[in-house]
Amino acid sequence: MVKLSPILKEALIHLFKKPATRRYPEEKPKIPAGFRGKQIFDINLCIGCGLCSRDCPAKAIEMVEVDGKPRPLFHLDRCIFCYQCAESCPRNAIKSSETFELAATNKSDLIVKPKASGAAGACE
Amino acid sequence: MSLDSGFLFRVLIFPGFAFILFFTMFCDWVERKIEARMQNRMGPTYTGPVGILQPFADFVKLLTKEDIVPFNVKNFIFKLVPLLSFSIFVFAFVFLPIDGANAILNSNFEGDLILVLTLISIANFFLFLSGWSSTNPYSATSAARILTQFLGYDIPLFILALAPAFLARSLSILRIAASQPLPFALVIPWVFMLFIITLQAELEKDPFDIPHAETEIVGGYETEYTGRRLAFLKLAKDVQIVLGAAIAVELFLGGPYGPVFYGSPAFWYALWFMLKLLVVVVLTEYLTCVFARLRIDQVLVINWKVLLPLSLLSLVATVGLGLWLTR
Amino acid sequence: MPTSINGILKALGDALGDRILQTGTLRPEKVLVQVDVGAHRDAIKVILKQDENAGVSAITGVDLGKTIKLLYHIRACNTIITMGVELPKENAKIESITDLISGANFHEREVSDLFGVTFEGHPNPKRLILPEDWPENVFPLRKDFTAPNFPSKTENSGALKDNEQVSGDDGLVKIVLGPQHPALIEPEKFILKVDGEIVKEVKPRIGYVHRGIEKAAESRTYLQDIYLVERICGICNACHAACFCQTVEAIMGVDAPPRARYLRTIILELNRIHSHMLLLGHAGFEIGYETLFHYMWRDRERILDIMEELTGNRIIASFITIGGVRRDLKEEMIPRIKVEMEALRERMKFYKEIFEDDSTIKMRTKNVGVLSKQDALKLCVVGPVARGSGVNMDVRRDEPYAAYNEIPFRVITYDDGDSWARLMVRLDEVVESANIIQYALEHLPGGPYRVRVPRIVPAGEAIGRVEAPRGELFYYVKSNGTAYPERVKVRTPTFANILAFVKIAEGINIADVPASFISLDPCFSCTDR
Repeated sequence: MVKLSPILKEALIHLFKKPATRRYPEEKPKIPAGFRGKQIFDINLCIGCGLCSRDCPAKAIEMVEVDGKPRPLFHLDRCIFCYQCAESCPRNAIKSSETFELAATNKSDLIVKPKASGAAGACE
Repeated sequence: MSLDSGFLFRVLIFPGFAFILFFTMFCDWVERKIEARMQNRMGPTYTGPVGILQPFADFVKLLTKEDIVPFNVKNFIFKLVPLLSFSIFVFAFVFLPIDGANAILNSNFEGDLILVLTLISIANFFLFLSGWSSTNPYSATSAARILTQFLGYDIPLFILALAPAFLARSLSILRIAASQPLPFALVIPWVFMLFIITLQAELEKDPFDIPHAETEIVGGYETEYTGRRLAFLKLAKDVQIVLGAAIAVELFLGGPYGPVFYGSPAFWYALWFMLKLLVVVVLTEYLTCVFARLRIDQVLVINWKVLLPLSLLSLVATVGLGLWLTR
Repeated sequence: MPTSINGILKALGDALGDRILQTGTLRPEKVLVQVDVGAHRDAIKVILKQDENAGVSAITGVDLGKTIKLLYHIRACNTIITMGVELPKENAKIESITDLISGANFHEREVSDLFGVTFEGHPNPKRLILPEDWPENVFPLRKDFTAPNFPSKTENSGALKDNEQVSGDDGLVKIVLGPQHPALIEPEKFILKVDGEIVKEVKPRIGYVHRGIEKAAESRTYLQDIYLVERICGICNACHAACFCQTVEAIMGVDAPPRARYLRTIILELNRIHSHMLLLGHAGFEIGYETLFHYMWRDRERILDIMEELTGNRIIASFITIGGVRRDLKEEMIPRIKVEMEALRERMKFYKEIFEDDSTIKMRTKNVGVLSKQDALKLCVVGPVARGSGVNMDVRRDEPYAAYNEIPFRVITYDDGDSWARLMVRLDEVVESANIIQYALEHLPGGPYRVRVPRIVPAGEAIGRVEAPRGELFYYVKSNGTAYPERVKVRTPTFANILAFVKIAEGINIADVPASFISLDPCFSCTDR
């Protein structure tokens, strides 16, 4: 007696089940906290030590002059989202967010400049 | 039959060319949706409501692509084959009663079952030619496999198709379909099961998928085709599936004949035909989903050592049953 | 040290006498024997007499300025004994050991390609990793390497032509599998010579995905190197990071805290589960079973969701660092992971039934691509390929790292040696990994999950071994006291298994070639680095 593979029944059952795939982009996935998405940089906490730029494995952080002080500029097209910068920062100025939809049609959209102080919080 | 507007309507619109075209696309959508649901995913969703326009969108997209004919192919055959196999499959539909009568009225005759089965073989042969004429090692391998497969499986197909013909004492599809007070699938279920398996092999679906096994030979005989020709080649494949299912419906499930509730019988017959055809399509798609792909030598072993003797035996059993039923 | 290693050392001392220049230790507690140039063959013969199943784990080349040191890492008695030989740079010639251990074939070719060492007596001394039109006498891994002026591709197209001549014209059809082929996930070229439908000979050509990672690692700091080696392979990235960090910690003499070791174990086992499920689904797809592929990958998504919560990303974990792990496991995650592991075990029962009962799967994988136990030992294959042929080797049990010395688990072997056995080994290993994770979660120690380590690593050298999903992963790191490593050598499991491709493909039906290849679980990004 040939034993029937259990997939015969399973395939029939699945005809009536809800699909496991999601209707993206109408339905978005639920992203857990701590996800390594786009960086949020708080310029008020930065002390300009440059450790983030030195430790970045992909050389994606460039120190630029803002108001006479060195601040990091993020090249998101080179970034590998390893968050070594956040770990190296002695003042916790770099935090993670849940933004992962970073596709852009223009390369300049992927360069995140540090905003001049006065506006606290993230850069666009 | 006179060449008036009624005739043109029947041939071109319903139940003729346009009906076959749109019904084929609908069956393609049904196949893809059923396969997707069995695999726990969505299937076509975004084009049109529930994705029903997806096959049409695919066809139109292919029509807009660039038409490339590689340098070394056998030009005439390469260009002719897609259209020719598509036409032959559609032509074979003329002999199947869809709304109670054939598309071209009174075109049925004793022996049109043999004609339809022969047309299928010829069209399959043209698919082989498509692979052979595109001088490409992948296409050539696929063409050799298609030839081996369908030449082998045509024989059990013929033998099994003769069983309902014997029970109906006729070789005309219209008459076989009409002489089924109880569908033959219930009278001779063993023949029906074997016929479905042979149909899987004829239509090149898993587990007999070997002629266009994507993971081994890229696109099989479709590799070198692009643009319009690929659109028609794919359409020919889809029409082949619907034709195979339609033959199964006519021979074993009572064709279009079923209970008529009110109004014109032609409408109900067409409806029953479509429903029964969808049942067969879903059945073959289910078999596709639950099996892996067999090697070509295993496919041949199944044909010559298993299916051929079994089909001969079942024909003998059917003849015995038929004689006993009308004693 | 195990007594058999002492036995080997004594036998070596007796046989070679004063041709042994020095005996020392290679961290962590591995033996390093420095021998004279001509003596390495006799040393290997002695080792083979003591342990006939000894095999080559890796052959490392190190550029020491005026000399090139070759380190033969021999796997014997379940541990590694290293033999070092120094060759002068201008005249780097040494006898090959391929006739003693066939598995050394590709290792020697790689060293000759990248360092310029000539192995006399090698059966096939052709280029392995570098492309055919790479200029002669330019060896990338030497310290005095400067990038030459490469000739343009059109000028040099003659050199790029397929010059892998496969045994003359004898009426056999030549079929080229790759570099682009639907059966291969990543590009490599296999030239098959077929007679009708039977494959007679296979010649592999690898190197299509070579990115020079070993050289790149020398110009980045240790911290940056973790992320570099993680990206050698996407699927087994946690194992590369773990092995590298383990090796660097061995050089420093630092131990990761107990909680970090358990967390590393959890991530490594999650990595193994997702890799095996990926492969089983892919194997199903290769043999035409798309339904199995979709079901398996849907179930794999739940594992990826756990990894996303734990590490911040689905596949590339970036979780392990030198001195511990980067994040802690939150208490509320523990019951959730346990529930997922239980569900995973249930699903694996279902898949095991399919593999054991489905007739079409068995028709495609049973007795297909058989690798006998003798061949597996001779070719020094590792991982599920070896375990599917009955060779009982697993680094987690032989030389425990992370927390494996405190967690009980079974090593799965099957004796058939065919594709079906290799797939079943992986299936059972998924269940074992679920058990390991459950045990680790229940016995998770408290305490810190990381110790701070200095950025400058003291001078020294060390090796590390980790059981990656595809087999034994081997790292050798040498530090010269600066912030940049001097040499990072990576020997990935698929590199050791490439010779198995050649062996199992000879004599099988050409339609079985994709099914056999996929059961070996090739990861060519790992192979070429």
